[in-house]
Amino acid sequence: MTWIELAWTVMASASLTLAGIHLFAWFRNRSQRAHLWFFALAASVPLFSVFEIFAIEAKTPAEYAFASKWAQVPLFLIITAFVAFVRTYLDAGRAWLAGGVLVTRAATLVLNFTTGVSVLHEEITELSHAVLWGAAVSAPVGVLNPWFIVPQISNVLLLVFVVDAAITLWRRGGETARRHAMLVGGSLVLCVGIAMVMGLAITTGVLRAPTPLTACFFLVVVAMGYELSRDLFQAAQLARELRESERRTELAARAAELAFWSWDPTRDDVWMSGKGRELFDLDPTVPIDRAALLERIHADDRDALREAWEGALRERGAFEKEFRVVLRKGGVVWIAVRGQAEAAQAGDRSLLRGVVLDITTRRRLEHEVEEQRNELAHLSRVATLGELSGSLAHEINQPLMGILSNAQAAQRFMASEPPNLDEVREILVDIVEDDKRAGEVIRRLRVLLKKGEVQHGLVDPGDVVGDVLRVTRNDLLNRDILLAPELAHDLLPVFGDRIQLQQVLLNLVMNACDAMTGVDRREIRIVARAVEGLAVEFAVCDTGVGVPPADIERIFEPFVSTKEHGMGLGLSVCRTIVAAHGGRIQAENNAGGGATFRLTLPLAPTDAK
Amino acid sequence: MTDAACTVFVVDDDPSVRKGVQRLLRSAGFSTEGYTSAQAFLDGHDRAVIGCVILDLTMPGISGLQMQEALADSGSVLPIVFLTGHGDIPTSVRAMKHGAVDFLTKPVSDDMLLGAVRHAIERATVLEQEMREKHDIERRLATLTPREREVLTHLVRGRLNKQIAADLGTVEKTIKVHRARVMQKMQVRTLVALARLVQQAGIAVDSAG
Repeated sequence: MTWIELAWTVMASASLTLAGIHLFAWFRNRSQRAHLWFFALAASVPLFSVFEIFAIEAKTPAEYAFASKWAQVPLFLIITAFVAFVRTYLDAGRAWLAGGVLVTRAATLVLNFTTGVSVLHEEITELSHAVLWGAAVSAPVGVLNPWFIVPQISNVLLLVFVVDAAITLWRRGGETARRHAMLVGGSLVLCVGIAMVMGLAITTGVLRAPTPLTACFFLVVVAMGYELSRDLFQAAQLARELRESERRTELAARAAELAFWSWDPTRDDVWMSGKGRELFDLDPTVPIDRAALLERIHADDRDALREAWEGALRERGAFEKEFRVVLRKGGVVWIAVRGQAEAAQAGDRSLLRGVVLDITTRRRLEHEVEEQRNELAHLSRVATLGELSGSLAHEINQPLMGILSNAQAAQRFMASEPPNLDEVREILVDIVEDDKRAGEVIRRLRVLLKKGEVQHGLVDPGDVVGDVLRVTRNDLLNRDILLAPELAHDLLPVFGDRIQLQQVLLNLVMNACDAMTGVDRREIRIVARAVEGLAVEFAVCDTGVGVPPADIERIFEPFVSTKEHGMGLGLSVCRTIVAAHGGRIQAENNAGGGATFRLTLPLAPTDAK
Repeated sequence: MTDAACTVFVVDDDPSVRKGVQRLLRSAGFSTEGYTSAQAFLDGHDRAVIGCVILDLTMPGISGLQMQEALADSGSVLPIVFLTGHGDIPTSVRAMKHGAVDFLTKPVSDDMLLGAVRHAIERATVLEQEMREKHDIERRLATLTPREREVLTHLVRGRLNKQIAADLGTVEKTIKVHRARVMQKMQVRTLVALARLVQQAGIAVDSAG
């Protein structure tokens, strides 16, 4: 066995081994076509080496001709696979160059079987024998095939194709792209270059040496195999890191009590982590679709969630919602969901993905805080009404007086001879009116005194001012204070609790009254106006003593009062109420004396009920 | 004088109270006039009419107490019955000190209200009677000559004709004639009746002393 036979055999088997590995890799992941092309390349190399050995060791010209003729078949496969590899794996190389290479190579194959003894020789007359490092090497002597030029053109095109692809890769930048350009491009250029020059020299008889194509191809196979294997290792590494990252995410999610979910709208399939299924009170294994999921949600929250969900899907945006899940064993769990619509991997199908979180505890705390706030608001309201009790008694006594006088007048009219029935009829109408009026006063008082649920709804700013004027009317008269409401006519409703808003304004008016004790000019202006179409501002402006400048910043803090017997709760409750309505409240002293308190409330959203 | 000859003025800004009270008074045979504010009453009521006022304490503009003062300042003796939604002691004391007949808290029953009104009208009638008599005496006094008035002053102080003649530097006979003229003009027969008349008119008799 000569060294040539040994070397060629080793290279062929190594190539075959690599081919096997990458065929397997392709089977595992069919989308990675580069492995398939590499397999085609690496599997064709041993075939080629067989014909090459055969040619090197040929005894007769006929043997040589046979070997060199059939060697063109694996050569065609090698070059085809190679071009395909460059295009798929490196994603480089011009299509027309690739086409040119393949067409000329195919033409070569056709000419190989139709002209001369092979595409290289018209005729081989004899073989020259030489000995290279102790191994006999045959070289052909004969007439060249005139079509000999076609494979050379093909080789030049291949060279240009590879160089162009390498340059493209290099320009693309990045470490990986440049290494690819260097390794694959470099090895290919080297290989194709050597093959062309030596092939030409040997074919034309200038050089007496074995054709080195197997070695060249082997070089290419090794270079490309190296890159592909690197990718395989990297993939394994990535998979490990991914598992690690997943574990970390899982840990974080568990710590934050988050659960993951996703929904594929085309298949209507909800995937949810175990924790999520627990939250939604779903069995761990049953498949879930959207309807099944919505089924678990409190009927009052279902539509809002569905709307948010579809909105996110439509706009490819995010959504956030809080809702209740009704447990099968009874009870309710509050859940917050955050989702994001995103394009799935293939095509432009959308996918919703997100997290859910149990917020029952937070909700309960919020509820408790709100209850305490309302309780405080109620106490403050009762205290305010206590201050107004005299005036309120007057408000009730007025219609009662009317009723009593009318009724006793009626008794007299009835007793007279003849009874004055016309008067009595009129009296009865007035009594009914007065009774309604007294009832209305009592109803308004009850509403203010009642400790009920806060009821949010659309509130007309003019109504709030009107309520306050009715309640304070008599008190203002007693204190000889002039109150002038100035309501803009284009006021839109705000969203909130009418009683609490009334309370805030009432408090501001009462404070203004207190600030004017002992002041000669006693006037209050209530101005309600729209602010840039976004909010309503109520300004309560008095001619009193004003707020001491040192206190103006902290006047809304609890237990801060500028009054002699003030508790310092009224304004702090006002601020709490206003904040809960998404508004703000400010105090300022007027240039001409007195103070102005400004209360700004956002307009109701247009879709509010 | 009957109740019907008097007018009860009802001043209250609240229409239902005003109407009710007016009706009650009408049912009891009073004639009434309603006013929606103190200003309207001060500007519009007939000062010659005899009667009383039922006055609301708290009203926009001029309050009940302010109106009471304004009436007193203008020399009116119209009796006032205050009506209030919530009465506090300082206010009621102030009102009574300034001569209010009564201070009633709403709602008030017919007995109380009509009682107060009758009381006020009685007072108004008495006052009216006194005023009329006073005017009558003053009218008679106005017919006296300065000399006769001088003599009158001395007479009501209880001096004798002789003493008066000495004081005025004349003879007793002349004084006798003056005295007869005074008794005739003042339409009295006795000296005691003359003294009562002068006292009623509130004429300061010391001035000539």
